[in-house]
Amino acid sequence: MSESSMTRPHATAAHHTSLGVDNRKLGVWAFIGSETLFFATLITTYFVFAPVNRMRPDFQDPREFLDIELTTVLASILLASSLTMVLALSASRRGDRRWFTTWLLATVGLGLAFIGGQAYEFNHLYHEGLTLSSSLFGTTFFVLTGFHGTHVAIGVIWLLSVFFKVRAYPDSPENAMDVEIAGLYWHFVDLVWVAIFVLVYLI
Amino acid sequence: MAIAERTAGTVSPPSVSVRPGWAGWLSTTDHKRIGIMYLVSAFVFFLIGGIEALLMRIQLGTPNNTFLTPDVYNQMFTMHGTTMIFLGLMPLNVGLGNYMVPLMIGARDMAFPRLNALSIWLFIFGGLMLYVSFFVGGAPNVGWFAYAPLTQKQFAPTAGVDYWIVGIGLTGVASIAGALNFIVTILNMRAPGMTLNRMPLFVWMQLIVAFILIFAFPVLTVATIQLLFDRHFGTRFFLPNLGGDAVLWQHLFWFFGHPEVYILILPTMGIISEVLPTFSRKPIFGYAFVAYSGVAIGFLGFLVWAHHMFAVGLGPLANAFFGAASFLIAVPTGVKIFNWLATMWQGSLHLTTSMLYAIGFIGMFIIGGISGITLASPPINVQQTDSYYVVAHMHYVLFGGAIQGIFAGIFYWFPKMTGRMLDERLGKWQFWLMLISFNLTFFPMHLSGNAGMPRRIYTYEAEMGWNLWNLISTIGSLLLAVAFLIFLWNVLTSIRRGPIAPADPWDGATLEWAVSSPPPVYNFAVTPRVRSRRPLWDEKYPHLHEVNGSHEAPVVRRGPLHDGFERETPEAMEPIHLPSPTYAPLIVSVGIMILGFGIIYLGDFGLIAASAMLVGLLIMAAGILSWVRISHVDSPHHAH
Amino acid sequence: MAGHHEEHSSHAHGEHSHSDRFYWLVAGVLAVVTALEVGLFIVNEQHLIAKWLEVTLLLILSTIKGAAVVMFFMHLKGDAGIFKFVFLVPLAFATTLLLSFMVLFSGHVGIAG
Repeated sequence: MSESSMTRPHATAAHHTSLGVDNRKLGVWAFIGSETLFFATLITTYFVFAPVNRMRPDFQDPREFLDIELTTVLASILLASSLTMVLALSASRRGDRRWFTTWLLATVGLGLAFIGGQAYEFNHLYHEGLTLSSSLFGTTFFVLTGFHGTHVAIGVIWLLSVFFKVRAYPDSPENAMDVEIAGLYWHFVDLVWVAIFVLVYLI
Repeated sequence: MAIAERTAGTVSPPSVSVRPGWAGWLSTTDHKRIGIMYLVSAFVFFLIGGIEALLMRIQLGTPNNTFLTPDVYNQMFTMHGTTMIFLGLMPLNVGLGNYMVPLMIGARDMAFPRLNALSIWLFIFGGLMLYVSFFVGGAPNVGWFAYAPLTQKQFAPTAGVDYWIVGIGLTGVASIAGALNFIVTILNMRAPGMTLNRMPLFVWMQLIVAFILIFAFPVLTVATIQLLFDRHFGTRFFLPNLGGDAVLWQHLFWFFGHPEVYILILPTMGIISEVLPTFSRKPIFGYAFVAYSGVAIGFLGFLVWAHHMFAVGLGPLANAFFGAASFLIAVPTGVKIFNWLATMWQGSLHLTTSMLYAIGFIGMFIIGGISGITLASPPINVQQTDSYYVVAHMHYVLFGGAIQGIFAGIFYWFPKMTGRMLDERLGKWQFWLMLISFNLTFFPMHLSGNAGMPRRIYTYEAEMGWNLWNLISTIGSLLLAVAFLIFLWNVLTSIRRGPIAPADPWDGATLEWAVSSPPPVYNFAVTPRVRSRRPLWDEKYPHLHEVNGSHEAPVVRRGPLHDGFERETPEAMEPIHLPSPTYAPLIVSVGIMILGFGIIYLGDFGLIAASAMLVGLLIMAAGILSWVRISHVDSPHHAH
Repeated sequence: MAGHHEEHSSHAHGEHSHSDRFYWLVAGVLAVVTALEVGLFIVNEQHLIAKWLEVTLLLILSTIKGAAVVMFFMHLKGDAGIFKFVFLVPLAFATTLLLSFMVLFSGHVGIAG
């Protein structure tokens, strides 16, 4: 695979890479790989404790607490934000600044809506008596979904910083890659929710 | 060919001004400077960890000793283990890698120079935070493995464990960021012709370790976060009385912890795979076997974690699986050892200090490996676990192995990094003293362990029959300290008065020896083109190819060896882009550290801690802003 | 599927954009699959099919969703092999972690969770 780099015409130093891929994109993919194990550990913990929770005197039943309608809305919001994200990337590659702005801000908006929805859900659950210390379900559920929510928040900040960077340097040829790698992270956060949605809310 | 290659373009001096003095170090993004910062700071932590070990040995030298109180003793063995692993061995390897990997693959810097600077600062701040705990109520005293439920608030009420969590967290973020940097650099920044199967084996091992790191560290991060929540926010992950599970902590910790062992040892295996061929005057025997057995070790390392837990009682099925998998690791490890021996076989050995350490590595590592094989057997393990036999085993692997490997690397590359030779006579004194005193310290532990002496006890009765072995261990450890003082003296004098090092003092085979000592900021004026695994040897000794029957054509390199070829290429090629110095990574790290202090006290002093966290976040934001700005200015497109 | 043709025609790494129509199509499929998941969940509250079958179906459906996000929104399909490597290998490790812990804590290998 790296043979190609021997014959590659000499562009600027940053351009020819051994594998012919962008450094930052490779870095973000590897980072996503690392994050996969982060969330896998949280989900594993959830599953290790799910049967123990059921046998405890302070058992709290996920099915009683979790609201399938709200969750479906949240899942749809994140899936929709993945669509707007990829449309923003597409617009950015075409150089269509107006649609890029629209779709990127739509993604940010959907991300904020998700965070708001989760805040509402947490608040609701808290008043129903589900807390970090009320049961093993509370312990594992809040830490898992809370860290996912934190990732959504970081994603929103990342997208906003890309938005402002593109606004500040509209002609930078790096813009499309900036959008692409922020998008990769965003889709990954969505992907984690696809897993949490089925593993925690549906099963 | 060589001439043709150096005709295009004219040299443009690097457009980077290095700031003078301290500012230069605080704002640096140069992988070489960052490598040196890693090495120096890790060595300081390493000496502190060594002092902690000495205090423990003094306490254990005689029965019923009262030199340390039990609580201080607990803090010492916790901090000794944590320091040596996270703040000593790991960053020493990272430091050598940071300095050498770009040079060895023909790159100008790491892929992400600013991220690299962030890693070093987060590592230093994480280490300092760990040590702050001594001054705010006591260091962590629960062992480097921090077994639950001992770590819960009622058993460990001081903030020591919290500092452990956050300190390890910061160094963990630093390690993951560093590993991502290594992965991208090694995969994507190789000089033309440097295919994966032509990379120096040290680079191979660094690549494998980087992958192990990004897979293993998140597991530790999650476990420590859960522990933090247990201690402060009312969760019950590891609280058995509320349905939590102390054994889960052990599983999560060792799922990280065993791969961590390979994170420590694989780079040093890479070092001696460079040192042995150089000083045997022979190419490495079975290059592919050495490289891919490393991959096998890295992979198998994820399947054996529960051999640290045989005494837990996981049941015969689990024990059998993890025992068998552990035995399996002996195969790729044995492959490596035979390759090294075959490399030396019939070579013309040059017994420099570096070579002595490499040979010492093989010897001591074999002893540690054999005791490791005994420990992989569940029934034997149950007898020996938590005894000094285990202490002996892991020190043979990590001290006799990793530390000696690192010394092999330091004596090998010191001339390259500083432009001065270390004193070989002092080095050999150090080696022999270290080898003897190391064995004096740790070999008796096999015996005291088999005589039943448990680990982590602060004292023992005189009639237990352990007195002699402990006294010998303590004497050995004091002699070890002398060996380190010799090294310190050697470095401090050589760096000022040592003989000037030529570009290629050892007649090496890899690219780092093609540039001057120390290398120029931009490493290579011209990106080298590589045509074999031993680019410099092939050029210096073209006839070797016929002798070895290699089908690979020799490398074409510009300029005579000892002149450093960048001066021989006055009209060089591409414009050289180097990252500008910037304080942004330092600022971001300071913000993260303040955030960390806030997290520690969030449970106890909500408002003050929350405002500290806010301050930390604001500082981070400011740092990131200037980071984005400088990275835009530095981008290759911007320059045109 | 116009997007597919487009993808096969361009081999450059990382630059194989699908048409926007294709992304809308993928999103439509994701919406339908999500609706199926939720529908199955609600319908089977009456225990019409066995729990294990429901779980299996749900896992299959969500795997389809996840694969669609990774392949088309993250463009892993058709992208450079190294990206697949650095994502799929840790994904395999993550799956191993989850499954082996579930076995270890299941009570079937000697200890109770």
